[in-house]
Amino acid sequence: MSTTVIETKGLFKRFDQVTALNNINLKIKKGEFVAIMGASGSGKTTLLNILTCLDTSTEGSVLLNGVDTAELDEEGRRVFRANQIGLVFQQFHLIPFLSALENIMLAQHYHSITDRNSALKVLEQVGLGHRVDHLPNQLSGGEQQRVCIARALVNECPLIFADEPTGNLDEENEQIVLALLQELHAQGRTIVMVTHNPELGRYTDRIIRLQHGKYIGEETHNEADI
Amino acid sequence: MAENKLTGSAINMLSLIIIRSLKVRFQQVLVVFAALMVGAAIITAMAGVYFDINTKMSQELRTFGANFYIGPGQGTSLSNQTYDNIVSKIPDSTLVATSPYLYGVARTELQKVILLGVDFSHLNKLVPYWQVKGKWINVGFDERHAMIGATLASQLELKVGDTITLTNNAVKHKLIIRGIVESGEAIDNYLIVNISLAQSWLKKPNEVNYALFSLENNDEQVSHLAQSLYRQYPKLEVRPIRKVSASEGKVLEKIKGLMGLVTVVILILSTLCVNTTLTAMIAERRREFALQKALGASHRDITLQIILETTIICTVAIFFGLILGYVLAQILGHAVFDTAIDLRIQVLPITIILSLVAAFIAAIVPTRRAIHIEPAKVLKGE
Repeated sequence: MSTTVIETKGLFKRFDQVTALNNINLKIKKGEFVAIMGASGSGKTTLLNILTCLDTSTEGSVLLNGVDTAELDEEGRRVFRANQIGLVFQQFHLIPFLSALENIMLAQHYHSITDRNSALKVLEQVGLGHRVDHLPNQLSGGEQQRVCIARALVNECPLIFADEPTGNLDEENEQIVLALLQELHAQGRTIVMVTHNPELGRYTDRIIRLQHGKYIGEETHNEADI
Repeated sequence: MAENKLTGSAINMLSLIIIRSLKVRFQQVLVVFAALMVGAAIITAMAGVYFDINTKMSQELRTFGANFYIGPGQGTSLSNQTYDNIVSKIPDSTLVATSPYLYGVARTELQKVILLGVDFSHLNKLVPYWQVKGKWINVGFDERHAMIGATLASQLELKVGDTITLTNNAVKHKLIIRGIVESGEAIDNYLIVNISLAQSWLKKPNEVNYALFSLENNDEQVSHLAQSLYRQYPKLEVRPIRKVSASEGKVLEKIKGLMGLVTVVILILSTLCVNTTLTAMIAERRREFALQKALGASHRDITLQIILETTIICTVAIFFGLILGYVLAQILGHAVFDTAIDLRIQVLPITIILSLVAAFIAAIVPTRRAIHIEPAKVLKGE
């Protein structure tokens, strides 16, 4: 039986009078590829921010690889994020004056030490071995997102979180990125992807649905009503 | 990027980020650099003048004339020997000029005149404010030439090069007028001759009415000398001429205060300019810092990055500021004191420390903003 690597218990997030997350209880197993879906304002990004230690919950616990991150202070969450979490953003967020390779090495820098060879290796893994020295503005949107994925992979973090990873891509690049995520999934990585695009759910093991901050159910890939 | 400059598997990512970041924001960096450089230059110039001003002001105020008087006290007289003894006690580095003064009435072929005996060799340094038509007499033992006050010269219709003859019964002594003096004082009525000639002609061979001194006063030498002479010659009248020596101190204090004020104002303006530009730069880089924090950068990493960037700009600014400040100090020195300003060693640490302090104060608020960026909000575009 697979180990649970992500678990939330009684998770609440309130902003003044607004409850963005309302008693979320989730379990995600090691190696799972899970989509968190819901309409805008459903709380999926808020949940992702808490799961990635970029934000804190108002109430409840968040167990990531057995560590209750809700108990960690800011420094503890930073260290945990650097060591355990790979992030893929919708808007790529690459440093504009660093090359593709250097952007990947930046993640190494904040994790431990830079290693050009392993950075090159992940860049080749995402099919950008020929774009090593290119600046972000010299890359297409799809290529930038692949650099972003490579950056999430370079430290071999066990948990990968992707926030609308294909949201800014055309269909062709969307397929490339999804294929890449599936490949990582096949390699045994745990991937949590936030999306509002029902089409993307087809590529995951499980879809967790949120509505108005509440968990409203989950479906496996075959059962998902997408 | 055309060429990747990575040379090994391990690179210093921090220096890479800093150098690229400075290059990519060159215009803003230039503004920060300019503000800090101007600040450093003003500090250098002002500190340079500040430390050199005592000497320069003292030299400048010498142009107002003597600042020390010695005369006979009650029931005493001032002799040549006493005067010479006093002069010998004054260090060469302090004594700018001195002259004994002896007055008396003498007869000339034209009319009676007041004869003033002085030491010509020091006169142009002792009373540099005299307006002399013709030439000064620079030789102390010259008994062939004389200077004459402008009023007396006018009365006697004498001009430079004319001869005036002192007469004493059958004894005559011809003097060629070398210069006509216009001082705005009683001197304008006198015939000015060599002290030894005056003493012999007036039959006062060892007598001096009083003596004037022009002394360096950049280190309160006038007061010290006065105290020393009071003790040694209690019967003589020894007094600093306060009009000059005291005004030195007051003027110096005011000028130093003004320079301090200008420096502080420029530093504040420089700090505000750097602060504004750094704040704008940090605002522009919010996503960059948010991403770095999301990737695991600590507050220390972000602070270090900003501080190092600021330090690099500041270091270059200090270097050029010191050069510019030196030039400014020279311009100031020549404009105000008509002389070069010597930059003392103290100027260097003062410029470096004050510039760094200004830069770091300016960087406090932008740095705090950077480290308090919330990656979740910024990366989502909020």
